[in-house]
Amino acid sequence: MVKVKNFIDTPSQTAGPFLHIGCTPSITGINIFKDELGSTPFTDISLNEEINIKGKIYDGNNEPIIDAMIETWQCDENGKYFNYQGFSRRVTDFKTGEYQLKTIRPGNQINVDGTIFPSYILFWIVARGMNSPLITRMYFDENEIKSDLMFKNFNIQDRLKTLIPYTEDKKNFVFDIHLQGKKETIFFEF
Amino acid sequence: MIKKHQPLRRFPDYKSSIVRSPENEPLLINFSNSEITGPLFNKNILNENDNNLILNFSKNGEKALGQEIFVHGFVTDENGNPLKDVLIEVWQANAGGKYRHQNDPSNIKLDENFGGCGRFITSSDGYYIFKTIQPGAYPYPNRGIEWRPKHIHFSLFGSMFLQRLITQMYFEGDPLIKSCPMVNSIPDINARKLLVGKLDLSKTDEEKILGYRFDIILRGKHQTYFENKIEGS
Ligand SMILES: [Fe+2]
Repeated sequence: MVKVKNFIDTPSQTAGPFLHIGCTPSITGINIFKDELGSTPFTDISLNEEINIKGKIYDGNNEPIIDAMIETWQCDENGKYFNYQGFSRRVTDFKTGEYQLKTIRPGNQINVDGTIFPSYILFWIVARGMNSPLITRMYFDENEIKSDLMFKNFNIQDRLKTLIPYTEDKKNFVFDIHLQGKKETIFFEF
Repeated sequence: MIKKHQPLRRFPDYKSSIVRSPENEPLLINFSNSEITGPLFNKNILNENDNNLILNFSKNGEKALGQEIFVHGFVTDENGNPLKDVLIEVWQANAGGKYRHQNDPSNIKLDENFGGCGRFITSSDGYYIFKTIQPGAYPYPNRGIEWRPKHIHFSLFGSMFLQRLITQMYFEGDPLIKSCPMVNSIPDINARKLLVGKLDLSKTDEEKILGYRFDIILRGKHQTYFENKIEGS
């Protein structure tokens, strides 16, 4: 049974163009906190497990968004989530709009019913002009998600490729996010 | 599938939302481990003055300029249960409406004693409090030049990513709230009121500064789909 709620949750509002002051203050020259959140998702990423993801977020005019923040959340290589690692905070470059993330490749996870589902990194995106966050996932293998039950419920087979990065090589991925148009990325709600 | 108490992603009165919102409906899926887990933060990441924006950027112990205020309240879930250990980050303009940010085009003076950010963690009863100065209203380009009501940006981490929230607190009585397209992007008029911090004189004698009360509610572990079904919206 679903419990009926007493209250509604507080509405979201845009993070605005100056989100860096509160979220990544050192970029604006403010260095008062002990450390900044999410500067790396895992400490001591070894060279042989390291992967690099970069990309841009394109708006409806196909312009890269230069004032976005992306938070990523992922499990470790064994598919396990921890509350002290796996989180990162990236911002897009003021000039080029590019974000970069050094992390490890997450492992597959096991559903409650024992089925395995493909590994992914959650992307949570806020920026000026976004009244609420956009949530997407970067998967690694298109065939894996094509056979995933969750996606079979939707008639979006032709859009699934928007969740897959361009793979330069085993360690380097380009994951661009498109807000509109033919290449519009799939976004999720829960 | 619209949650009437959450803003529309595309709200043409807020011009930049037109090119920064998807054209397709989001895919409504069951949450998995990535939504019901999340990073947790504890108080040892905090410095003593992280919750005092009047002092946390000060040079030679001088205070930031402006009307000193405190903002306090409780963070709860939708059933009123307190949420402890919620990390809250805040950021705002200075008293003149200027942000300490390289992309702020305003020619208002920066306050050398004001950075404009703070952070703190809710106590076991979900309570938070911080001190700051009243931020100024500022103009921004929208349909021509428009004015943002005075506001403080809030970012919250609950115990799972599903609860992640960025929002803004406005100030009771500010005449600019009514015409703000970001506020008006929320279809439910009553939900807009949740973003208004209320003048709170209850602790004024103690603190010797003006108080505002701002309670925040984070969503729980239920599906949007069921939620709509139950409420029949
Ligand atoms: Fe703002």
